[in-house]
Amino acid sequence: MRRIALPAAIVALIVLAALILPALLPWSHDAIDWDHVRAPAGSPGHLLGTDELGRDRLARLAVASRITLLVALAAALVSMIVGIAWGMVAGWAGGRVDEAMMRIVDVLYALPFMFIVIVLMVVFGRSILLVFVGIGLVEWLTMARIVRGQVMTLRQRPFVLAAQASGAPVRVILWRHILPNIAGVALAYLTLTLPGIIMIESFLSFLGLGVQEPLTSLGILVKEGADDMDVAPMGLLVPGGVMVTLLVCLTLIGERLRDRFA
Amino acid sequence: MRALILRRLFTAIPTLLLVLLASFALMRFAPGGPFDGERPLAPETRAALEAAYGLNLPMGEQFALFLRRTLTGDFGPSLVYRDFTVTQLIADSLPVSLTLGGLAILLALVLGLAAGTLAALRPGSWADETLMLGATLVTALPSFVTGPLLALVFGLWLGLLPVGGLGDSLISAPQFWVMPVIALALPVAGAIAKLARAGLAAALAQEHIRTARARGLSTGAIVLRHALRPALVPVVSYLGPAAAGLLTGAVVIETVFALPGLGRYFVQGALNRDYPLIMAVILLYAALIIAFNLLADLIYGWLDPRSRA
Repeated sequence: MRRIALPAAIVALIVLAALILPALLPWSHDAIDWDHVRAPAGSPGHLLGTDELGRDRLARLAVASRITLLVALAAALVSMIVGIAWGMVAGWAGGRVDEAMMRIVDVLYALPFMFIVIVLMVVFGRSILLVFVGIGLVEWLTMARIVRGQVMTLRQRPFVLAAQASGAPVRVILWRHILPNIAGVALAYLTLTLPGIIMIESFLSFLGLGVQEPLTSLGILVKEGADDMDVAPMGLLVPGGVMVTLLVCLTLIGERLRDRFA
Repeated sequence: MRALILRRLFTAIPTLLLVLLASFALMRFAPGGPFDGERPLAPETRAALEAAYGLNLPMGEQFALFLRRTLTGDFGPSLVYRDFTVTQLIADSLPVSLTLGGLAILLALVLGLAAGTLAALRPGSWADETLMLGATLVTALPSFVTGPLLALVFGLWLGLLPVGGLGDSLISAPQFWVMPVIALALPVAGAIAKLARAGLAAALAQEHIRTARARGLSTGAIVLRHALRPALVPVVSYLGPAAAGLLTGAVVIETVFALPGLGRYFVQGALNRDYPLIMAVILLYAALIIAFNLLADLIYGWLDPRSRA
């Protein structure tokens, strides 16, 4: 567990800051301080300065991280539930059912995925959480493949055969014997799904399709910073740095968990 | 080999059709339409426009018409860029995107294979750990962060490279391509480095490599002649997903660096409900991904003769 401790601590720190900071700061993320527009970092009252509209950068960063994390978690949970359910049914049923279910996964893999997300954005528009439920529903493919593979090996194992022989119903076998054994791998892939979804969210926000004002997200902050980088490079460097740290740490945790369980 | 190509082309057709049908349906059942401007149109005007573009026909007929047209290479008129046909728009922008994507995948292969080989030669060493941490780092770096960062450092602060655009022509201005290609290639290079390292480390641990070593072959000859070929198999199977990743990455990179490529039509087309344009772009994207997967399978068969059955 030691190789996971450092990145996990950094992620925990970011999560904690995103949860607590907005309550501690005197400025909300969309309040305008008319007297201090474009304040440099370190000005009194504005630790990271203010942006071109006089909004406190630190407050915006905290709220943005909070929304990015929330949305990623929601989408990743949906993808995990759908992926596990699909993979367990396919892996347990085997034969034709398995063949058909995995062909569907193959075809969905070949879809130009970003387009589906863009259309989802257009259809669901205002409700950001719904959109990420949508992303989660499209992002379950890898999880389904992994879980199916695990279930196929598990169902040959003696303890599963014993449970079957003793007449346990399928529901109980899947829930009590299979699920706990795929939990580790599922957790590893859940961690690996998170950075992917954060990237999709930021990608969409960067193109102006994701989270809408007055809400903000890391993608929006990076976009704003990139538009304004010749005047205020910190506006790009700080949110970009937080996002990259988050992505790298989550990827490292996920990879190391996967190496452990798979 | 020919049988494989034929079989894959045969399965590619239903996949493409499914992709087109799904995108057509999603697009059409999404609210909004191409003529919803700032100012609402008079009902007669709207009806006339819809009739002119054949949007008043039943959905099934419209889809059939689209398929018939596509088979003749005609994607129809753009509903938003009124003076252009979709074919013209694509002919102008596709070369830019193909150059960007092609250069990026070449760079990613070179960087990734070099880093992966170096790391695999000394597993567990300091160089291995550093290179693999670097690979994780660049894989996790989104292109919309690296793109602006590169532009900030090399374009604005150091003034070495142009911040965006293409200048007057493609060939005379290689400096315009440097940053977009690097920003697009880095995540793919990281993934390739990891796959190459894992594959090569496994290949180097095998018996025939030990034999080659015992017979006094140099490390270079062992890697190039005996180990690299099987080690490339996982890298090649990654090419399909890599193509998909490059295509989405290119949308952002073309926006960041103001390149006149296909990517902007993808987003703009969906937002504007420019049905013929978006269908053409999706068809191209899907065909590219399928082509890359086929290419990967062909190289796969060449690398690993056992899979040719």
